[in-house]
Amino acid sequence: MKKCVKKYAVPLVIVGCIALIYICTLIGITTIPFGEANRVLFQEIFHIGSPENINPGYTAIIWNVRLPRVLLGFLAGGALAVCGAGFQGIFKNPMADPYILGVSSGAALGASIGIVLRFGSSFMGMGGTAVLAFAGAFATILLVYRISRVGRRVPVATLLLSGIAVGQSLSALMSLLMIFNVSSMDQIMFWTMGSFNGTGWDQVLLVLPFVIIGCILMFTAARELDIMLLGEDTATQLGVDTERLKKKVLFTASLITAAVVSVSGIIGFVGLVVPHVVRLFTGPKHRRLMPVALVCGGAFLVLCDTIARSVASQEIPVGIITAAFGGPFFIYLLKKQRRGL
Amino acid sequence: MKDQKKSILSFEDVHTGYGDREIIRGFTAAFDAGEFVGIIGSNGTGKSTLLKCLSGIIPVTGGKITIEGRDNASLTQRERSRKVAVVPQSFAIDYDFLVEDMVMMGRNPYLGYKDRESTEDWKIVDHAMNISDTKKFRGRLFNELSGGEKQRVIIARAIAQQPDILLLDEPTSALDVHHQIEVMEMIETLNREAQMTVVAVLHDLNLAARYCRRLVMLYNGRVVADGTPKEVIVEHNMELLYDMKMLIRQNALFEKPEIVPLRVLDHQPAANPLHVHVICGGAGACKVLDELKSLGHRVTAGVVNQGSDDWLMCKDLGIDRVEVAPFTTIRWEDQKKNLKLMADADVILVADVPFGNGNIENLTGLETLNGALYVHQSVVYNDYTGGGVQRRLDAIAKKHTLHYVSDHDEFLEAVRNLPEKGKLSATSQ
Repeated sequence: MKKCVKKYAVPLVIVGCIALIYICTLIGITTIPFGEANRVLFQEIFHIGSPENINPGYTAIIWNVRLPRVLLGFLAGGALAVCGAGFQGIFKNPMADPYILGVSSGAALGASIGIVLRFGSSFMGMGGTAVLAFAGAFATILLVYRISRVGRRVPVATLLLSGIAVGQSLSALMSLLMIFNVSSMDQIMFWTMGSFNGTGWDQVLLVLPFVIIGCILMFTAARELDIMLLGEDTATQLGVDTERLKKKVLFTASLITAAVVSVSGIIGFVGLVVPHVVRLFTGPKHRRLMPVALVCGGAFLVLCDTIARSVASQEIPVGIITAAFGGPFFIYLLKKQRRGL
Repeated sequence: MKDQKKSILSFEDVHTGYGDREIIRGFTAAFDAGEFVGIIGSNGTGKSTLLKCLSGIIPVTGGKITIEGRDNASLTQRERSRKVAVVPQSFAIDYDFLVEDMVMMGRNPYLGYKDRESTEDWKIVDHAMNISDTKKFRGRLFNELSGGEKQRVIIARAIAQQPDILLLDEPTSALDVHHQIEVMEMIETLNREAQMTVVAVLHDLNLAARYCRRLVMLYNGRVVADGTPKEVIVEHNMELLYDMKMLIRQNALFEKPEIVPLRVLDHQPAANPLHVHVICGGAGACKVLDELKSLGHRVTAGVVNQGSDDWLMCKDLGIDRVEVAPFTTIRWEDQKKNLKLMADADVILVADVPFGNGNIENLTGLETLNGALYVHQSVVYNDYTGGGVQRRLDAIAKKHTLHYVSDHDEFLEAVRNLPEKGKLSATSQ
């Protein structure tokens, strides 16, 4: 029985994910008849049926708005969860998440500058705000890494502390920017709470290579991340080049995070909680933890985003939903398991 | 030079430390394949630092470490961990790994990024768990094992690395006696049967002396002694190392030197160094002899039978004594020597010693002495002469003040309150 489950686990999960994406695409604030929605999908994906019979408004909503948005949510959630697992691995710290090194603050500052300067022009399909957010995130990680480096080594404790320090400073700069540009305050606030509002196929195609290549790189570090949990000294003695591993995970995860954040804003909680929840079921081995975290993180964020855009007439930032649902659920699991992380 | 070629592991004038603080200051030693070496030294002398340096966690700041003919600094972590496996001092983890996962981590040096564990790897892990007797809990969580079981799992992981050199950092420090011996015997078996070279940092000198064929003693980051346990575990080395008084005797069972730690060397002598003579000869005066000596008093003793515990103590502490052969009766001639030895004593103590016809002569002539006389009360009760002790003490008491004490601490307290030498006789007159 158990073997059977194991054998069909991968196809089952894939079918499950497709089903989830399909269902969430059908749900939305605008009610579209079931048959119409299906016809749009069949037409667009398989080119079956006659396009004349389809309401162009439905095509626009299903194909150009909802589906890319759901896919982007899945990619972003999965990527953040995998990055969170990686960061928790190298830092050996349950508080670690993809934003711990200040990537989010850097991105937020970049985005604020973009918003304040009204960067409307697009660059390679990205809005100017997104470009600046990505640049801010990447510059931050480089800065934190430079500050923490002592000779050839990057001590984990220094890295964490300088990440927090740099993050706080950048947040302060962002606040200052907001104070002097009160007109842009709403927009900046909304951005920092994270949202997929207004995203489309361009954003999906932009994030996709980062997530695919990044996750493959992260998966190749799985065994060494396991050993890293025993402490750096022991990992060294077991043949892990800890400095190289740290660099690899740090930059890979930060690049993925920067790409995700630049299109979605700061979606909290997914990267922190999903790896913990998954670990409770899979155990600490990253080879199982990371793929499961990818799927669960993706599914979780898709569900949250569906709620965010469907429950009220005004869209709720998805970061609020992730925290509102993820927090209590996590506390419930902690209580139920009655053990530490 | 010939020796160096043969050696599997050699240190040449190695310096290392943390930042500006140099811990190892010129460590030189060479170890041959198949040796079982113990590194001993007190806390903070750099034993663990040496192992860290050897396993590539901290770099050398001077000198050179050579492993199997290659410079340690030129080895990558992967290369090194195929040659050298380390059993660390602590292995607390916050994550729930299975025992077999932990052992499989020992295969990491042989596996690339894309490699999956092969059946060959599983065979090696299986073998390692067989040797370390850990197979029965392979499917359990590492964190649910006892300290001794965990230690064996960590050793299994080290075996799975298939190293030529096994480094152990105080492998027994957290274990009870049963598991200490179990672990040491397992390491001995690995050394003997798998031809693994073992270098172990050990705190427990007796375990070190018992299992290691060679001991290297580290002090202030340098080697101060290197040789067989018999050559290294000698009194002056131990005193240098631990700054305390040690009793070293041959353990008849294992034919190895055995250390009995006595006391930390006291650098604060009594304010009034006196000449104290202790009449003893059983087993009850060991502690008071040691304490008097440590306070800096001039201690003499007699008449003691050779072989008694008090005699052994006098011998180890270098106390002047009048002694007679084991189980012989103390005669007047012996007591005369004893009286001569205590003639200028400021204080005389009749310690807690049972008196019989063989040693009752010890009490003769005490009334002629100048020093203050103290008697442990129990001598009256441990009297095997049929009341002879009380009669003699009463006779002495007629001519000389006798102070009775109920234990040796009371006596030491009395000695502490005595005036300085010279002033004593003046006041008593």
